[in-house]
Amino acid sequence: MIRARDIVKEYVDGDGTKVRVLDGMSLDVQDGDFVAVVGPSGSGKSTLLHLLGGLDVHYQGEVEVGGVKLRGLDDKALARFRNTHVGFVFQSFHLIPNLSALENVLLPSHFGASREDARKRAEAMLERVGLGAKKDRAPVRLSGGERQRVAIARALFTGPKLLLCDEPTGNLDAATGDGVIQLFKELHREGLTVLAVTHEDRMSAAARRVLRLKEGRLVEERADLHLATRGAP
Amino acid sequence: MDALSRLVRLSLARERKGAFFSAFGVAMGVGALVFFLGLGLGVGRVIREKIFPTDARLVDVVPSAVSLGSLLGGGKLDAATVERLAALPGVEATYRKMNVRVPAVTRYDGVFFGARLRMGMEVLAVGVEPGLVKDDVKLGEFKDPSEGQPIPALVSTRLLELYNKTFAPARKLPQLSANMIVGFGFPVEFNRSYVAATTGGPTGAAQTQVVGASDRAMLAGITIPLETAVRINRQAGVDAETFTGVTLVASDPSRVPAIVDAVKGMGLEIDDQERRMAENTGAAVALVTSALALLSILICILAAVNIAHALSASVRARAKEIGVMQAVGASRADVRGIVLAEAAVVGLFGGAAGTALALLMAFGVNRLAVSQLPNFPFKPDSFFSFPWPVVVGGVLLGLVAALAGAYFPARRAAATDPARTLAG
Repeated sequence: MIRARDIVKEYVDGDGTKVRVLDGMSLDVQDGDFVAVVGPSGSGKSTLLHLLGGLDVHYQGEVEVGGVKLRGLDDKALARFRNTHVGFVFQSFHLIPNLSALENVLLPSHFGASREDARKRAEAMLERVGLGAKKDRAPVRLSGGERQRVAIARALFTGPKLLLCDEPTGNLDAATGDGVIQLFKELHREGLTVLAVTHEDRMSAAARRVLRLKEGRLVEERADLHLATRGAP
Repeated sequence: MDALSRLVRLSLARERKGAFFSAFGVAMGVGALVFFLGLGLGVGRVIREKIFPTDARLVDVVPSAVSLGSLLGGGKLDAATVERLAALPGVEATYRKMNVRVPAVTRYDGVFFGARLRMGMEVLAVGVEPGLVKDDVKLGEFKDPSEGQPIPALVSTRLLELYNKTFAPARKLPQLSANMIVGFGFPVEFNRSYVAATTGGPTGAAQTQVVGASDRAMLAGITIPLETAVRINRQAGVDAETFTGVTLVASDPSRVPAIVDAVKGMGLEIDDQERRMAENTGAAVALVTSALALLSILICILAAVNIAHALSASVRARAKEIGVMQAVGASRADVRGIVLAEAAVVGLFGGAAGTALALLMAFGVNRLAVSQLPNFPFKPDSFFSFPWPVVVGGVLLGLVAALAGAYFPARRAAATDPARTLAG
């Protein structure tokens, strides 16, 4: 599903200093895997997520997702890749406040996804995350957990094989976060590949694999090993 | 498209204050432009059609005021010269004119369209060939009458207008239409004057009958058949051989410049006084209209700048939204399209509102002019002219101004880095 080789990503910070956030990192993720990426702040977790999702193409190395090599794709092709191959879930939900829950879920349909039965599919997706009854509500009238579920429904709308999550439970209380994690588990069981960047032990505990990033390198990788210590970075 | 248009609509609704002021600016610029263009075109039309009606195919040839005359074989408009003029390339027809070269007076004492009128005045007369005015003759034939019959005469439509708007109200006389004066008769005595010396020949009394009004008729006088003018001049013993002028009809307006050059080459002059007055007046109107249009376009440019500011602020405020759209599949072109679509809605609304406002104001001004302005000569029914390109162009200008203003904000929006805006 994901094959990344020798990824180097640098940026220039406010002081004009060149910072290398990913330093020759390589990664393989199989279809249907559930991977948690952990590491301290600034270790390059979110950056890695953006590279894998085609949001950032300014790096060295090679990224292949679902058989698509991202380097060299033009903007239109990259947009289509994001529309059809991956779904994003963010810590801050990033729902569009003017649109209802249903319209937020429908958003990808305006940018290339099949428009056929779009509304029905969006409604089904909201049912799937338990929000069928609140489809017409504006985000401001939904709880944090509900907003994140709408964001997940939006991410799943185009039927991607890969779900990329950036601290998906970071803004949720424990109980609500557990509900969202449970949803990810269900989606994983249904065959979806999930890669989540997280600080949360509960989230990484739910994953089948845990990758640890430190100073831009993949320094630790364990399969089926749950982090035991709460509060670990 | 429905939800995308809803996105645009909702975004505009959220920014409705800014969108309203942006549209208002566009409406002011477009409205002012359409209004002033309509006014300029309307006034120009009055000048062209009423005050200085000119035919682009006509060339009025007159003898040279200062000429070496027969030494160079030019300057005199006799039959031979007219034949040479008729033979010029591009000349389709020639119509000779001859002034009645003796003074004439009219003394009227009777009922004038229901009002008692007693007056005497000097009369100028010119004879023209019937073909030049055939479309304007409404009674009988325009030819030298047989003994005892009245002389057919045409009056100028502009003279009629001046009479109606100044003379008639001042003297409490009835206002007259072109049709009303057809058949009206008045006496004329040729070779007689209240103010000037005559030739000393016999005085000829005649009855004159108005047979129509014409743009081609002499402004301050009467226009009679050429043969009549020749006969009167001959009877008075003055020059009845050379012509006062010749009107040439070009086969096409594009041939006129070449004809003019050829005529001047023959030592003759072109009487383009009216045409030049029309052109000068038209140019003055065009100049004022252009200045006002320029001012209006400046308003449109300011409106575009305002839109640029408003959209730039909006794009900055919506950076995360734009990032989300990119994350779910929006390309840079899609993002650019959304911002431009918002501007297009503002521009179309502003353009349409401005154009409608201009039409409404023109209607109001016309109503005011009818009720408040005195009835001056050539006062038009409408001071405005709004051909469809002006109306459609007004709306399109609003669109173009808004899109121009949105260009850089749209580019900035399209350049949003989703990885950066969605981080954290």
